[in-house]
Amino acid sequence: MTTTAPRRTTLEIAAFVDEVRTQLANLHPAERDELLDGLEADLTEQQADGAVRTDLGDPRAYAVELRLAAGLPEPTRRLPRLPRRARLQVPRMDSVERLLDCSHVLFRGAVDAQAWRRATWEVVTELRSAWWVARAWLLVTLLDVVAGHSEPVSVIPSLGHPLVGPAVFAVAVLVSVLVGLGRLWPGSGADRPVASRVALLVVNIVAVVTPLTFSIPNPGYINDNDPYADGSDPYSAGYRDAQLEGQAEARQPGLHVGAKEVTNVFVYGPGGQPLAGVQLFDQDGEPISVPSTSSTGRGLDRQVPCPSYNGTTPLFNVFPLDQVQLRRDYCTPETMGRNAPTLPLAEVPPLN
Amino acid sequence: MQCVDTTQLLKGVLDLAVLAVVGDEDGYGYDVLRRLRAGGLTEVGDASIYGTLRRLYGAGALTSYVVPSDEGPHRKYYGITPAGRDQLERQTKDWLTFSETVTDLLRTDSPDCPQGARS
Repeated sequence: MTTTAPRRTTLEIAAFVDEVRTQLANLHPAERDELLDGLEADLTEQQADGAVRTDLGDPRAYAVELRLAAGLPEPTRRLPRLPRRARLQVPRMDSVERLLDCSHVLFRGAVDAQAWRRATWEVVTELRSAWWVARAWLLVTLLDVVAGHSEPVSVIPSLGHPLVGPAVFAVAVLVSVLVGLGRLWPGSGADRPVASRVALLVVNIVAVVTPLTFSIPNPGYINDNDPYADGSDPYSAGYRDAQLEGQAEARQPGLHVGAKEVTNVFVYGPGGQPLAGVQLFDQDGEPISVPSTSSTGRGLDRQVPCPSYNGTTPLFNVFPLDQVQLRRDYCTPETMGRNAPTLPLAEVPPLN
Repeated sequence: MQCVDTTQLLKGVLDLAVLAVVGDEDGYGYDVLRRLRAGGLTEVGDASIYGTLRRLYGAGALTSYVVPSDEGPHRKYYGITPAGRDQLERQTKDWLTFSETVTDLLRTDSPDCPQGARS
């Protein structure tokens, strides 16, 4: 163990390390410290050994070599002049790729660390095919929800047409499986282009998140034992009918019996003879009136009711109402051509 | 030797060599360097080895921990991770296949090579 060159003192080693540190000035301080951590101690030990290297060499070259081996970027003034867009894109793609690769490696490391984790992961990977089908269904259903009317979510997305839905769904499943297998874009393995990997990641994230936005129909029909579940019990049915009636009335004010609109009332006396000028009132003393804006038919067949008049007040609860044919608007006192309506029944049987 | 070209050439193999050494037994920077040199890798610069350790650590193939010591400085030791072991296995296989292929190529190319006689 002979040395031909004089030993470097600790001061010179310290100076060397300082110079290297300066050369790495453009790095993040933490990164730099990590890199140089223990370098001084190592060099001192190296000197103590004396066997390997006696000349510290050029700190600048050392720094360059260190950067290169560590895969760190060079100081900016040494970068070749790239066109603006390339200079922006290249580092970003590189770091995204590194992020993806590092995440993958870290995840595998965490999984492989323990036996139960490895076993669990094996089971999960077996379910990959189920995920591919689910992914296709989620994306087609998302398309359905976005493009179509607010239909409830169904087992096979319908896309508004009975044939289109299942066909699109089948194609989507096929594509998803092929992508999952790596047969179709973007291929398999670590040398896939970064943009494709990120795109696939985004698609997967969207597929996972979209179910949260779906409104699942109330699966009450699934429960066979609950008599109230499907709304066919008398209480629910009655409530529903009343709701419909109320809605109908709110939409069309006027005279209705059930859902049927009444446009004229024909009154027959106890002897079976038709009566005229009959004034109708309900149990609250409110007149039973046909609305003044009612009409039947269209165009040349349009008929509107003409009221009787108490002075100038039109009365639409005096039956039977005269009618007039008008293509538009309604009956006024000046309207000519009003007739008494045709009796629907010439006579009715007299009461006993 | 501070030749940057050599560093570029050996970069891929250096990963393998460093992983092999650390996989054998945990070590701190100079320890790994010493073992590599002892193993015959004399052409590679110190900085390359340190840098490679750092890069492998960053990629998750190595883990690191500090061992305090009363005399002298605290040492940062590197150890291999399961992912690193996977990489070592894979790259060893690749290297062996590759070197076999190249060796075969060289043998068939020079028929008067003393070792050349292929059966």
